[in-house]
Amino acid sequence: MLPIILLSVFGIVLLFMGFLKSKVLLLPATLVFILAALATTFMDWGKTYLYFQNMLLTNNLAILFTTIVLLSAFMVVALSNSFIEDEQAQPAEYYALLLFSLVGAIMMISFENLIMLFVGVEILSVAMYVLAGSDKHSPRSNEAALKYFLMGAFATGIMLFGIALLYGATGTFVVSGIKSYVYTNAYGVSLLLYMGIILLLIGMLFKVSAAPFHFWTPDVYDGTPGLFTAFMSTVVKTAGFAALFRVLSVSFVGVYSFWWGTLAALTCLTLLIGNVTAVYQTSFKRMMAYSSISHAGYLLIGLTALGTQTKQALVFYSLAYSLATISAFGVLLVVSRQRQDTNGVNENFDAFNGLARQNPLLGFVMAVSMLSLAGIPLTAGFWGKFMIFTTAADKGIYWILVFAVLMSTVGIYYYFRVIIAMYFREGAAEPVKVAPFYRYVLIAATILTLVLGLAPGLLEGLV
Amino acid sequence: MKPIEIVFYVLTGITLLSAITVVTARNPIHSVLALIATFFCLSGHYILMNAQFLAAVNIIVYAGAIMVLFLFTIMFLNLRREDEESKTNLTKMAAVVVGGILMVTMLLVFRAVQLPAVNEGNFDARTGLVEQLGIMLYSDYLLPFELASVLLLVAMVGAVMLGKREAGDRHF
Repeated sequence: MLPIILLSVFGIVLLFMGFLKSKVLLLPATLVFILAALATTFMDWGKTYLYFQNMLLTNNLAILFTTIVLLSAFMVVALSNSFIEDEQAQPAEYYALLLFSLVGAIMMISFENLIMLFVGVEILSVAMYVLAGSDKHSPRSNEAALKYFLMGAFATGIMLFGIALLYGATGTFVVSGIKSYVYTNAYGVSLLLYMGIILLLIGMLFKVSAAPFHFWTPDVYDGTPGLFTAFMSTVVKTAGFAALFRVLSVSFVGVYSFWWGTLAALTCLTLLIGNVTAVYQTSFKRMMAYSSISHAGYLLIGLTALGTQTKQALVFYSLAYSLATISAFGVLLVVSRQRQDTNGVNENFDAFNGLARQNPLLGFVMAVSMLSLAGIPLTAGFWGKFMIFTTAADKGIYWILVFAVLMSTVGIYYYFRVIIAMYFREGAAEPVKVAPFYRYVLIAATILTLVLGLAPGLLEGLV
Repeated sequence: MKPIEIVFYVLTGITLLSAITVVTARNPIHSVLALIATFFCLSGHYILMNAQFLAAVNIIVYAGAIMVLFLFTIMFLNLRREDEESKTNLTKMAAVVVGGILMVTMLLVFRAVQLPAVNEGNFDARTGLVEQLGIMLYSDYLLPFELASVLLLVAMVGAVMLGKREAGDRHF
C-alpha cells in the first residue's frame, strides 16, 4: 500500500522538478524514489494485510513480485543517462510516467478486487502507450504507439466485459469471494462464470503478449525506443503474470479442469510461434520481441500446471528473465547508438560483429544474458526453466514438457547467433565506449544472473 | 406482456439497429449520429435498471461531450476520398469465423443461464441516485476512486508530452 502512495506522490514531485533549470537532479532523484518505494515494500514482509475494504492484499508473494518490478525499473532508469546529454530533452515527463506506471504494476500485483486489477492495467497500459510513442520524430515509434493503443484498448474492453460477466455470475468483485462462490457451487457453476474466465484471460494474455494475441508485439517492441522496450518487456510481463497467477490460483482454482486445456493449447501455440518466428529475424530488437513471446509461453507452462511449486517458479523465472532482458537491451542501446548506419541506429545482429574484441566487458555481459535466456546451466535462466518444467512434471503433463524442451533447443539457435557475431565475426575497429555508471548496472545484472545460476536456493522458502 | 417489457424490447431493438448502422454506414457522419442514438438508448436501459445518475452522466459525457469531439475530428479530416479496401478476403473470412463463434457461444451461454428473478419487494428507487452512489464511492470504493485520478493524470501528462513541440534529436 505504501509504495503505491509514495510512487504516486513522487511522480508528481518529478513533474514539478521538470521546472528546474538543471536536469542533473532528475535521474538520481528517480533512482532514490524507486529505492524508497522498494524499502517501504519490505515493511509488510512476513505478514498478510488487507487494505481498504478488500481492495489490496499484500503477502510475501506480492512483495517479491513488487521487488522484481521495482528492481527492473531501477535498472532501466539507471540506463537512461542519455536523456541528460540531449540538450533540449525534457526527461521529467518520462521519469514521471515510469513512476506512475509502476503504481499500476503494483496494483496488478497486489489487487484483491477486480476493479483494482482493471484500474492498474489501465494505468500501466496508458503510460506504456505514451512511452511507446515518445520518439516523436520517428514514424516507427508513432506506428508502435498507435498500434499498441488501438489493440490495447480493445483488449481492455474484452477484459472489462469478462469482469462484468464474473460479477453477474458471482455477485462480487473480490477475488476470494469468487473463490468461495466456486467452492459452494462446485457442481452447478453458472455458465456466465466460464464466459467471464475466458474473456478475462483473453484480456490478460494480450497484455503479456501470448499467442494468438501477440500480433502487436514485434511492431511495438521494434518501434518503441529501446529503453522503454526494456521496461515494457520486463515490468509489464512480470505484473501481468503476477495478476494472472493471483486470479487463477485463488479465484478459479476450483474450476481448474475447465480452463487448463485452453491454457495448455495457448501455451504450446505461444512457444511455437515465439521460438520459430524468432529464427527468421535479422533485427536483434525484433528477435527480442519474439523471444519475449516465447518466454511468455514458458511462464504460461507454470500456470497451466498450477500447483504448490508454481509461485516459486514464476518468481524465479520472472527475475531471471528480467535481469537477462535488461542487460541485453542495455548492451543493445550502447552498441546501436555508436554504430549507426545510413538508417540511423543499427539494431541488427551485424551491429554486434566483433564486439567481444573491442569491448570484452560488453561482450561478456551480452553473452551471459543470451545464455541465461537460452537456459544454459550456470545461469539463472537455466534454473528458471528447470523449476517451470518441474511444475509440469509434478502435475503429470509430460507432453507439454517434451514440447517445451524441444522449443528451447530452437531458442538456443537464435540466441547463439548473437554470441557468434560477437566472438567470431570481424567488425568495425572503433571501440565502443560505456559510461561508468552504465557499466556498473550491467555488471550488477550479470553478477546477479550468475549468482542465481550458481546458488538457485537463495530464493527458496521465501514464498 | 407488461408495459415495462414492451419498453425494454422496443428500446433493445432500436439499440441494436443503431449499433449495426454505426458499423455499416458508409458516411462517417451517419456513423457518428447512429452512435449518438445508441448512447441515448443505452441511457434508457440504465433507467430501466434503476441507475438514473449513470443514465444522466452517460448522456452528458458520451452523447454530449465525446460525440461533439468525434464530429469535430471527422469534419477536420478529409474523409471524402474512397480508400482502397485494405483487408484481404482471408482476413474477412477469419474475422467472420471468429466473431461468429464468439456470438454463438454467448448466445448459448445466455440461453442456458438461469438468472435470479428480480425481487420486487426490496426495490428502492433511490439506489441509483447520486447520494447512494457517493456513499459507495467514498466508503467501499475509496481506493480505486482515488487511484483513478492517477490514471487521469497519466493520460493528461501523456497527452501534453505527445502534443508539445520539441526541437532537437533524442537518444533513447
